[in-house]
Amino acid sequence: MMFDIQLMGLLNATLQAGTLLFIAALGELITEKSGILNLGVEGMISIGAVTGFMVAVNTGNLFLSVLIGVFSASLFASLHAFVTVILKQDQTVSGLILTILGLSLSALLGKKYVGKKLPVKIESLIEIDEPSNIFEVLISQNYIFYLGIFLMVATAFVLKKTMFGRRLEAVGEDSRAADSMGLNVNKTQFIATCVGGGFSGLAGVYLTLSYVPYWTDNMTSGRGWIALALVIFGGWKPYRTAVGALLFGFLEALVPRLQTYGFELSPYLVKITPYAITIIILIVLTIYKGGRTGAPSNIGIPFFRENR
Amino acid sequence: MNKYLISKKIVINDLSTFYSFLIGLSIGITIGSIILLVQGQNPIEVFSLMLRLSVGSIKSLSSSLNKATPLILAGLGISIINSVKLWNIGAEGQIFMGGIALNFIYISYQIPNSKLSIILLLLTAFVGGSICILLPALAKVLFGVNEIITTLLFNYIIIGFTVYLVNGPWKDPNSLNFPAATYVGKEVYLPTVFGRLSYGFIICILCTAGVHYLKEKSVFGYELRISGGSALTAIYAGINAKQKAFIALLIGGGLAGLAGGIELLSQTHRVSTGLSQGFGYTAIIVAAITGMRPLGIFLVGSLFGALTIGGTVIQTMGVSSYIADVIQATTLFGALISQFFFTYKIKEVTNDV
Repeated sequence: MMFDIQLMGLLNATLQAGTLLFIAALGELITEKSGILNLGVEGMISIGAVTGFMVAVNTGNLFLSVLIGVFSASLFASLHAFVTVILKQDQTVSGLILTILGLSLSALLGKKYVGKKLPVKIESLIEIDEPSNIFEVLISQNYIFYLGIFLMVATAFVLKKTMFGRRLEAVGEDSRAADSMGLNVNKTQFIATCVGGGFSGLAGVYLTLSYVPYWTDNMTSGRGWIALALVIFGGWKPYRTAVGALLFGFLEALVPRLQTYGFELSPYLVKITPYAITIIILIVLTIYKGGRTGAPSNIGIPFFRENR
Repeated sequence: MNKYLISKKIVINDLSTFYSFLIGLSIGITIGSIILLVQGQNPIEVFSLMLRLSVGSIKSLSSSLNKATPLILAGLGISIINSVKLWNIGAEGQIFMGGIALNFIYISYQIPNSKLSIILLLLTAFVGGSICILLPALAKVLFGVNEIITTLLFNYIIIGFTVYLVNGPWKDPNSLNFPAATYVGKEVYLPTVFGRLSYGFIICILCTAGVHYLKEKSVFGYELRISGGSALTAIYAGINAKQKAFIALLIGGGLAGLAGGIELLSQTHRVSTGLSQGFGYTAIIVAAITGMRPLGIFLVGSLFGALTIGGTVIQTMGVSSYIADVIQATTLFGALISQFFFTYKIKEVTNDV
């Protein structure tokens, strides 16, 4: 019985950690499908996290907090879209700076909010203190978890079955051909980048309004980068990315529990294992796939009508 | 409805990067001022104070140049790695690793001659930085694993390892509750040239000249550029592109490690989590903003060093030091935007084409 509760606690924590990573990774997947690489995930999560937190502290209105968090991260991503899609500048540079700017800007914005208590919190569907079986764990999750599942199904559907999704894929695979078919490459890429930013914003709001309900500087602690690794892991496919998110979420959940399971480890060293395992997984996966990762062919390459 | 086509200009102004930087800097300062105004501060007052406290006297100027040293060295490393079209986001971790390697050798071996000892320790720091990038480099050249993500994740690993060392095996019992390693002895402190300016800055000047020569004038630099270009060209030219990329990665990581070593021997004098304060990330901005040119990195690095010092001292006024980061990042965004107008021309076409 004791073991069961521990196991369910682990599962619970896995789903919570996985939700955050998954939503951010799903957004990045949409952006990358259009051929735009956005390395600013970490910064966008941070912007979403701080703006959502600020609105929640000031108004106590959860719906508004989520909305503002998503919108501001999306607006922030449009900076990347403007610089890379419209102005054709280097996507790697722009994305990296988006991360640095996002982290410093959010630290600046959130300066007065460090240590503030949250009046509201994103609730769970059904409150169960110590879930004892899988069913109870599944129904006692946070609302964002179910939203994440919905977004997964919706994204997979939109990418495969709708005009927008086919257009996105066409632009990401061969923007020249897409352009000659009359698709608006710039518009598609711009929208995809902003949508990706919105997803990161949602992950950020989830971070501050539920997962760790407070605000400190640099609290994203590399999760944006793990989300980027997750897109590669998932081979740019929503369902496979979800499997990856569960795996990475499991690592994040397992590590602090190792000591309670009787492993004698330094807590400081334990903290770095998820990052180390991410690297190992990335290497093993790349070797296994032999270079055919499933990445959109045009990723990172700016599109010019006149490049003949 | 009219459409616009853009195409690359055939002739690009040689100084376009410099002009874009100036435009970017003014955008950065404007945005910084707006943020200060919103926070109820007088921007002119804050900026003039920043200026005075960063370059106003020999003492503050030399502090600024000391602060610039790790930015420039790590930036040079990033620029070497970028000549093979790869990215090193792991300079932050490599700076720490340089300090860790140095301290490890320092506490393990006693070298009687202090001058020799300093040189050996700095070499160790260089090797430490190289070791830190070894795995991402091997994974890249052998299997094609994305080096951006692996080098970045190594930052978290190395910083976590530092936290472990200064709380565990290396914890100085005299440092009370502040987790830090024991100070190194005074005999291995880097001497100062004048004011507070450490010899680290001289090393930095030498490295700038060295990297400039290596990238622009030497055969090796030429081979690096070819390796970063098309794979076929490298084969025709008989260049082992993977080997060159590997060497470039190790040198680049090493320079960041050297930055950590100099920082330890001249500024912090011990390993702690404060060994690098985001230098590795700022170095990315410095390198990118200058189009990876070594001399540009030297100038912009010096300026950003001053800005960082300025950002630190205005904290006493209740202004967050993150304002310096925001100015640096928006400067680069501004530079990217203005770079567009230097490199592309916009043509208006009517709809019937």
